[in-house]
Amino acid sequence: MGEKTLMKGAEVIAEAAMRAGCMAFFGYPITPQNEVPEYFSRQMPKLGRVFLQAGSEVAAINMVYGAACTGTRVITTSSSPGISLMQEGFSYIANSDVPCVVVNAMRGGPGLGDIAPAQADYFQAVKGGGHGDYHSIVIAPYTLQEEADLMFDAFDLADKYRIMVVVLVDGLMGQMMEPVEFKEWVDVKKFKTPDWATVGQRDRDHRNIITSLEILAEGLEKMNFHLQEKYKIIEKNEVRFEEYKMDDAEYAITAFGTIARIAKTVVNMARDEGIKLGLIRPITLWPFPTKLIEKRAEQLKFFFDSELNAGQMLEDVKLAVNGRKPVYFYGKLGGIVPSAEDIYAEFKKHIKGDR
Amino acid sequence: MATLQEIMSKPVGLAPGHRMCAGCGIGSIVRAILAASDKPVIIANATGCLEVVTTIYPYSAWKVPWIHVTFENAAAVASGIETAYKSLRKRGKIDKDVNILAFGGDGGTYDIGFQALSGALERGHNFMYVVYDNEGYMNTGNQRSAATPYGANTTTVPAGSKSFGKPQWRKNIVEIAAAHRIPYAAQATNHNIIDLYNKAKKGFEADGPAFLAVLQPCTTNWRFDPAATMAYSKLAVETNFWPLYEIEKGKVHINHKPKNRKPIEEFLKGQGRFKHLFKDENKHVIEKMQMMVDKEWERLLKLEESGIEL
Repeated sequence: MGEKTLMKGAEVIAEAAMRAGCMAFFGYPITPQNEVPEYFSRQMPKLGRVFLQAGSEVAAINMVYGAACTGTRVITTSSSPGISLMQEGFSYIANSDVPCVVVNAMRGGPGLGDIAPAQADYFQAVKGGGHGDYHSIVIAPYTLQEEADLMFDAFDLADKYRIMVVVLVDGLMGQMMEPVEFKEWVDVKKFKTPDWATVGQRDRDHRNIITSLEILAEGLEKMNFHLQEKYKIIEKNEVRFEEYKMDDAEYAITAFGTIARIAKTVVNMARDEGIKLGLIRPITLWPFPTKLIEKRAEQLKFFFDSELNAGQMLEDVKLAVNGRKPVYFYGKLGGIVPSAEDIYAEFKKHIKGDR
Repeated sequence: MATLQEIMSKPVGLAPGHRMCAGCGIGSIVRAILAASDKPVIIANATGCLEVVTTIYPYSAWKVPWIHVTFENAAAVASGIETAYKSLRKRGKIDKDVNILAFGGDGGTYDIGFQALSGALERGHNFMYVVYDNEGYMNTGNQRSAATPYGANTTTVPAGSKSFGKPQWRKNIVEIAAAHRIPYAAQATNHNIIDLYNKAKKGFEADGPAFLAVLQPCTTNWRFDPAATMAYSKLAVETNFWPLYEIEKGKVHINHKPKNRKPIEEFLKGQGRFKHLFKDENKHVIEKMQMMVDKEWERLLKLEESGIEL
């Protein structure tokens, strides 16, 4: 561990990715994450690694796909409308079992929307977005320090499961500054080319083929079963979350990313008034901490979900709670970030009859 | 022939009060083009400076039918409008003549919107596509585009001890457009409004797609005094960096031949994006630029002289 550096969120993403051994960046300009490619463009050539500005997001994600087929650690970063353009590539990458990392600095939508922070791409990231039955691992950091740390995990998970890992942040996380302590540089000389990579047959006795195509339905079903098996293992092993003051909690806020930062303050405000409120913060949005929420439903009077959208993670919380306890919701749309006071006031409306 | 005063005082569909940067010339480009239309216009606008600064919610600077869709699709949207217009016309539901226009920046034209543009030109929709070319992604903070000139310092091709800025030449978008065998393609600037106006008129009158590339010196990211926009526009022409020419039914015609071609340094000087080129170690970059500008100019002269159809 080095010393703490005050950095902008977008630059933290780039710096951490490079330290984690990212060898190539492909991307296309879009606000609010232009500082990521700009940082890469200055630093990657110095390391002898690749920075390439594509002609569109469609080109960028397919460059990522190409690089991923060689087993190289590769990343692209974009924001909501750009991520929408990439969805076809996401789907191909999913069924081709190749690893890569994608960062989405979400902004207000739908459509052109605005450039303010939002979390309205939860469904797109977690439920698919592209066509077909697939998942990406979705990670949602809530501080720049966590963002810096999770970039390493993102690449490791991508390689381990040959899967796309989406790091879901928002415009606020991209633009804010915080002190960050980076992990040590990964020694990329120790990286071995994976045996599945398409880097030339050489003395291998078989050809490696990477494809998402299988023209016979029976064959394609097999490919799909393989994916589903992989997803089951990930769901079993890779769920991550943070609980805050949950041991004695009677109520819980569920929130991720930016809003979870504010929710922590809300928990403390409630505790100051003697209300036993806690926070459940999913770090992996997929796989989702379903079992945890299921378990916590026993002790809680109700859940209070808060997001920068119209209630997207809310559906996963409700599925986990499965009707046993009420799940209330408070969301802000279009790029508005509520204050802790706003959230607390909304939360308190529900406990009135309760106490 | 209209005078400059007549052109610029004609009421057009772009209202003042938009939020262009001080010294930005996009407004005068749009005004001159709209003034050249004697019919109602319908505009499709790609994402970019023009779209952003004229439509900051809940306001709009547009007094004409105007549509913005995705970054990459201005030409596709214009194609849709033109097709619908033709259909309505055929069915007798509309009897007015209109001009259909698409505006895009260079990012939305040379790069991400290129496929849509090519498709629209190839299908032969009756519309005019205008690129206001500020040579990079200026709305998002000066990233390089396929229009960024050789040697320019951008945020994604930064100049430094190892790099002199962008190492590639820009795309020749006018000739690429002309290669679709469209009736009219031209290059203009905003300092020569009469030339721009005449070209817009020809574009509107063309029987089929027309393409117009207009240089737009960007005070914010080329980094020069906002008072100097038109001066840089003029220098771009006088150095032959941005020749004023048109390709009518495949034939090249040069509209202005500078009597004494100025050295390219005259255009580069005072622009922050080229500042590094004046260091000793980057002399070769300017020399190469000069060679390329001269070569391109010679080629253009030959094309005009030969009368060969492109």
